[in-house]
Amino acid sequence: MKRVDPVTRFLAWCGALFIAAPILAIVIKVPWSHFFSALRSDSSLTAVWLTLWTSVVALGLCVLFGIPLAWWLSRSSGRITALIRPVVLAPIALPPTVAGLALLGLLDRHGLIGQWIYRSLHWQLPFTTYAVIVAGVFVGMPFLVLICESHFRQLPAEIEDAARIDKASNFQVFRLIAIPQARSGVITGVVLAWARVLGEFGATMMFAGSLPGTTQTWTMQIYQELNVNPDTAYALSVLLVAIAMAIIFTLRKPLQSAFRS
Amino acid sequence: MATTCATLSLALTTITAPAATAASGHTVSVYAASSLTKVYTALAAKFQAAFPGVNVKISYGSSTTLATQINAGAPVDIFASADVPDMTAVVSEFSAPKNYLVNQVVIAVPKSSAITTEAGLNGKVTWLQCGHTVPCGIAADAALKSDGVVTTSPVSLESSDANALAKLLAGSVDAALVYKTDVIANPTKLRAISFSDTTAASTQYQIGLSNQPSTLKNHWAQTFYNYLTGYDARKFLAANGFVITQ
Repeated sequence: MKRVDPVTRFLAWCGALFIAAPILAIVIKVPWSHFFSALRSDSSLTAVWLTLWTSVVALGLCVLFGIPLAWWLSRSSGRITALIRPVVLAPIALPPTVAGLALLGLLDRHGLIGQWIYRSLHWQLPFTTYAVIVAGVFVGMPFLVLICESHFRQLPAEIEDAARIDKASNFQVFRLIAIPQARSGVITGVVLAWARVLGEFGATMMFAGSLPGTTQTWTMQIYQELNVNPDTAYALSVLLVAIAMAIIFTLRKPLQSAFRS
Repeated sequence: MATTCATLSLALTTITAPAATAASGHTVSVYAASSLTKVYTALAAKFQAAFPGVNVKISYGSSTTLATQINAGAPVDIFASADVPDMTAVVSEFSAPKNYLVNQVVIAVPKSSAITTEAGLNGKVTWLQCGHTVPCGIAADAALKSDGVVTTSPVSLESSDANALAKLLAGSVDAALVYKTDVIANPTKLRAISFSDTTAASTQYQIGLSNQPSTLKNHWAQTFYNYLTGYDARKFLAANGFVITQ
């Protein structure tokens, strides 16, 4: 039995095609016959490797600070958290250029903190690989916090209460009950944050610059190759498409529940 | 469904059609190297003041990126490229380009900088240049190689001259290899140190008019092109540090 009326079905098909067609186009445009030789250039490999390891480090920092932040936001209803929540989640909706500018404003050698660092160490963060990581943490952590917080909020209060009656400390509740219970949410948050960090472009370009082997990431390499070797640009792009699809496919169930709160 | 669609498209047509018809003959679309941002914005303003109703739209970027976009079908009437290869890349649409200006990559430093020579980059100095594939980067590479003085490496390869200049003006770096005209445009803030091999550091700008029917039919595109390549504009460009070639 058909449950969707024809008009709605037609609109739904339009919507699906609108998103699927460009993805299909990129897959078709890839020079499959020399896919690997297009990818094998040193500069491509360098950019991919740099992106992979910096994104993993950034993700580690996101987890280290983001999960405690999500837990705190989910368990306190004070005025401070009400103020902090929109601020820490803002990068989700922030244009990357603005994110880059904000990071420069804080950390470049005339920045609020950057000027002190520069004066005492004669060193600045922008244009270093650390800057790529910092930009990644800035844009990625909010995703992790958003999803983890919503999962922490959905945890049934009974288990937590029972644990407290058994004299579990707040930290034990967080570590031994909340995190394992909200596991699927934490994993979803981590993977989505990673996807965001992997695809980061604008903020990194502004804040970290673009230098092969140091700050030139996967997406910057695509941007540069498009002018010189479009084949390489397409090959590099389709790899990111594959990663994105794999992420969404493996996360289809947790994703549904993550956004159902 | 069909009715909904028809109503919708009718509504859209009513809203957009008159405006589109009125403006289409009076819009000139220009792609220009980012190093022309300041002078072209001023020239377009003068032109529009002289011909009210004409709308000059200029898109600035690295010539290399602009050429890629033109080859991808970007609707453009006039292309001003910062080097010859990027103009050659779009030869099917810009089949009769002209040599236009010559610009020169220099070492730009803040007025107060202690750097006074090319060798000044060989210290504890952070400097950047344009990427190896865009005109300002190609000229910078050639000059660095020919002079053979600088032994340090740039901290970043920026995607366009404008981006490199912006980072220097923001104070993020000690020096940037940008165009001489960028320094001339910022006389109170920047100072230029020339490379010894000025030929290697130079780049030939070209300008062209599209051979597409939409441009050939657009009288204002031709007029603005003539203005950009004419005496007044050239005088203005020369006053801003560009070397005029024909």
